Amino acid sequence: METKEIFDLFERFEKSSLSEIRIKQGDMEVVLKKGVEPSSTSCAPPPVQIPGQRIQEKHNLLPPKKSDTEVISSPMVGTFYRAPAPDAPAFVEVGSKVKSGDTLCILEAMKLMNELEVEFDCEIVNVMVENAKMVEFGTPLFEVRRI
Amino acid sequence: MIKKLLIANRGEIAVRIIRTCKEMGIKTVVAYSQADKDSLSLRLADKAVCIGPANSKASYLNVRNIITAAVLEECEAIHPGVGFLAENPAFAREVTEAGVIFIGPDAEVIELLGDKVKAKQTASKNKIPVIPGSEESVQNEGEALKAASEIGFPIIIKAAAGGGGKGMRIVHDKKQLKDILKIASHEAETAFSDGRVYLEKYLENPRHVEVQILADGKGNVVHLGERDCTVQQNHQKLIEESPSPGVSAEMRKEMSEDAVRLFKKLGYKGAGTIEFLVHNDNYYFMEVNARVQVEHPVSEYISGVDIIKAQILTCSGEQLTLSQKDITLNGYALECRINAKTPGKVELYLPPGGFKVRVDSFLFSGCEVSPFYDALLAKVIVHGSDRMEGITRMQRALDEFIIDGVKTNIGMQKNILKHPLFRKGNYGTDILSHILKEEKN
Repeated sequence: METKEIFDLFERFEKSSLSEIRIKQGDMEVVLKKGVEPSSTSCAPPPVQIPGQRIQEKHNLLPPKKSDTEVISSPMVGTFYRAPAPDAPAFVEVGSKVKSGDTLCILEAMKLMNELEVEFDCEIVNVMVENAKMVEFGTPLFEVRRI
Repeated sequence: MIKKLLIANRGEIAVRIIRTCKEMGIKTVVAYSQADKDSLSLRLADKAVCIGPANSKASYLNVRNIITAAVLEECEAIHPGVGFLAENPAFAREVTEAGVIFIGPDAEVIELLGDKVKAKQTASKNKIPVIPGSEESVQNEGEALKAASEIGFPIIIKAAAGGGGKGMRIVHDKKQLKDILKIASHEAETAFSDGRVYLEKYLENPRHVEVQILADGKGNVVHLGERDCTVQQNHQKLIEESPSPGVSAEMRKEMSEDAVRLFKKLGYKGAGTIEFLVHNDNYYFMEVNARVQVEHPVSEYISGVDIIKAQILTCSGEQLTLSQKDITLNGYALECRINAKTPGKVELYLPPGGFKVRVDSFLFSGCEVSPFYDALLAKVIVHGSDRMEGITRMQRALDEFIIDGVKTNIGMQKNILKHPLFRKGNYGTDILSHILKEEKN
């Protein structure tokens, strides 16, 4: 797909009543969505524990996942801390490049501070939970891109 | 009164607890595994916290995640339900240490009752008849032989830390003892990390009868009559009824007095059950289940007492307001457990209804029956003025019951209900093998 074609597509999508369009051509895929927040905000909505049918919405709250990124989720129930102490700088920021074994955050559970280490070299694309919020098992914490 | 409670369990018992909490004005948080993310308990609870993956070791048995969820959600109490962590003294202790109320007896009481040898000794000291057997766990073959010849064959070897039939072996004569002892001890070691075993006289084809107790740890103890759980398959109960067709009025009186005396002595708190084996005209202490039981609705039907409510109140420090004279046991109640034979998607769920029919279940049309957990899908409980009316009502209820998409044991339950042996009421724990054998022929 040529750049011009993509721009044309933007315009047409803008004017249309569609809320989402997905076009696939060979290796290339273009996904356009309306009314979705940009995925680079550092504070994604905190995870909400909502019962039943609303669970599905919870997943929809997440920013659209880019094909080259992946999500690191919480391995436990606990409180999410971005920094080792309240006045210390955060372990990682959006744009930080981390090496396998580096600490991403602290998960406090039963008064134990558990350091969450990253298992591969990557760049932080998005921090998906606000500092000091409760996380569940499986709550998405970081969106990262392997390097 | 507590305002918020975390349920560390799943399936029908989680739903059962939520229902009573709602009536009591208690908010509920359900701890769930990823495999249960669409389950009914999540829809009914005020909140839900994912505590781990499908594998129960990492979720429903994950002490740290469960307690952290309760603390962060500001729950004042944790209800462990049935199974999983319900009778784990270490869990009860950690919950208490975290400043959260454990809905169950104190950790020390659970610990004592969990050790089958100590529990039996405690029962014996409190003048409850126990099955003749070795008083302590047997250390070696010599001790086992000595004990076995005193008791007389057949004997049964049981795991001190046991339950669920693991480490349990029947020995018919002296020659078999050495080898079977080794196997049983090894099996106990594997299952409970505790290889201690003890010997007991093997009672052939007994009835399994238990007494429901409520206590407040302040000296107030009442019983809600007995439940007969003789119809079993591989040590798993299938049908429970009250009153038992095999217990005389005199035995009932003695049994329940024994039960109340023991629970008073234990300083027991909450709901609990004492299990007996009934053989001819005698009954023997088997064990105490230090928790609410799956079949508790049977006693709720005949006594009119909400056992979960009483359990929550007494465990959170309230005094038991019931006294024995307030409790009248009315008519007859019968429960059939509906189990899945296969996991899968429930295409259609149509539970029975009508006069004096209760269904406790977590199913709904479209839900998934997960392969990760136990097979219990639903409990159908009926009440009748007498046993025949109850059985007839249960047959009517099971005829109505539709669960499409997964295979269940409804058919087998109906076969048991119509069998003359069951209807006569005069049978022991081998009743099912008789019925299944006849079906084959």
